Amino acid sequence: MRNNYLKIGLFFVPVLFFMSCAKEDINDLSDTFYVRHKGADMPAHIYGNASEKVFLILLHGGPGDSGLSYRFGTIKNRIEKSCAVVYFDQRGSGMSQGRFSENDFNIDVMTEDVMALVKVIQHKYGNDSRFFLMGHSWGGTLGIATLLKNNNQDFFKGWINVDGVHDWRQLYFGYIENYKVLSKEQIALGNRVDYWQKVLNKVKTVDPLKPNLEDFFKLNREAFIAETNIRRDGFIVSDGDYEKEIVNNYVFKNNLLTTFWSGAMARNVLIREDIFKNWSFEDRLNEIKIPSLLLWGKHDVVIPYQIGERISVKMGSKYKKHVLFEQSGHFPGGTESQKFADEVEAFISMNK
Amino acid sequence: MKKIALCCFYFISLQNHAQLISEKQKVVDSTTSFLEKTEFKLGYFGNALWNPGLSSGAEYVIREKIRIKERKRGNKTITKQLLLNGNLGFYWDPRSHVGVFTDYGITWRRTNNKGKQISIEFNPLGYHRSFFPETYEVKNGEVDKVFLPGRGYYAPSLSLGFGRLRKGKKLTASYFNINFKLLTPYNTGSLPMVSFNYGYRFKLKKKKKHTKNEK
Repeated sequence: MRNNYLKIGLFFVPVLFFMSCAKEDINDLSDTFYVRHKGADMPAHIYGNASEKVFLILLHGGPGDSGLSYRFGTIKNRIEKSCAVVYFDQRGSGMSQGRFSENDFNIDVMTEDVMALVKVIQHKYGNDSRFFLMGHSWGGTLGIATLLKNNNQDFFKGWINVDGVHDWRQLYFGYIENYKVLSKEQIALGNRVDYWQKVLNKVKTVDPLKPNLEDFFKLNREAFIAETNIRRDGFIVSDGDYEKEIVNNYVFKNNLLTTFWSGAMARNVLIREDIFKNWSFEDRLNEIKIPSLLLWGKHDVVIPYQIGERISVKMGSKYKKHVLFEQSGHFPGGTESQKFADEVEAFISMNK
Repeated sequence: MKKIALCCFYFISLQNHAQLISEKQKVVDSTTSFLEKTEFKLGYFGNALWNPGLSSGAEYVIREKIRIKERKRGNKTITKQLLLNGNLGFYWDPRSHVGVFTDYGITWRRTNNKGKQISIEFNPLGYHRSFFPETYEVKNGEVDKVFLPGRGYYAPSLSLGFGRLRKGKKLTASYFNINFKLLTPYNTGSLPMVSFNYGYRFKLKKKKKHTKNEK
């Protein structure tokens, strides 16, 4: 009998400890809960100042990245002081768990997941909660898809797009154009001439008229290498030393193997839908009416800044601001982090 | 044909038997009590090292062969065991969940003359349950709090273990296992998990000093 008590104790102590780790100080909130929707259990971590019930929902990139990997630098040290930041692991990504079919894993269901998160925050913190949506990279696609569905824009005070693509068909053509311009620029400057010549040659091998997955990923993979080279040549400069924090987030804040595996699986399943059709919203951008802020790294090769300019022109928002970060690549929040925080804080303050 | 096959089988069995005896063989005593044949274990269980946990279990010897090879420098004893194995444990992933698991299977273990052990543990019967913090289900626009939220998975596992006997001590052996587990179905497929397990084995009852079958 005593052994039974011991087993029960061993079983429940960590559970109770885990349940009690949320810090409910509304000025310095630290809360974790899961959202269960259509077979997925998705963790949401809320940190920061929720005294005004202003929640900034951060949609991670990838697809297949994780929410907490963004909790570093001025997002953690400054933006969390002015509002509550919601780090959300999307369906099938990060530490999300569940059991669902591949048919229930597409961008449409994922927009519903975002709105399910909004409903849960309202349920927990009150219907007077106010929301801003921020998407980075793939998160930009998901954010735009969310805003364009039903009357979802009514739930958000503003939209922040950080190097987020609105149309994967346009991204395909954007890669080709950007590589041509960028390679010629770099060759003219005498930087890594052999490498940029190889990039030019690679661009010649892809289909210039009809987007296809094989060529898309050829261009996409090259973008990460190209941006690393641009950084090494001094075009991208960081105003802080956040690399350790980023590594720490990836390695220690989640189970690295789980997030890596889930991310790979998520990408593998998601790209099975026709991404050049289902992830393309250029023709509907004028339907987005809420205040919008576009933050873009000038040296972003993964989602070139011309994509941002295109979005800015086509969006239907009365208030829209497009900010170019001169010394940044794919994530200005990690390079020009102070300017990034200035812009986000000012936007939220103006529109909350 | 059948008769010939049976004869061959019988002959091979006899030959093996004779071979083992020539190397001096000690087989586990059938009169040994359950507790004497059972070792318990308790150890640290780390899912990806920094998710701390505990694992406990028991191993029951179903077959044991001790070969004593006579050498000039002295006898060399090699023990091979086949054990029934059961585990119960948990780990704590500080930012997302608590995982509780139980699994059952067989272990093959070899112990050399110096007491160093190597083992392979296969647990085809495994269950893993994740416990989440507060969870809200959204269905048809309605939000409901979920009671005892989490997910259950079929979780077979395979472990490779290293250990050492501790002669004359209460904690009879130490071990370090690397576990590979598969949670399924997980999202749209399965999730592989790697974990580490190190701890000690102990007996609740000491073994008799001399076994009857010893030759």
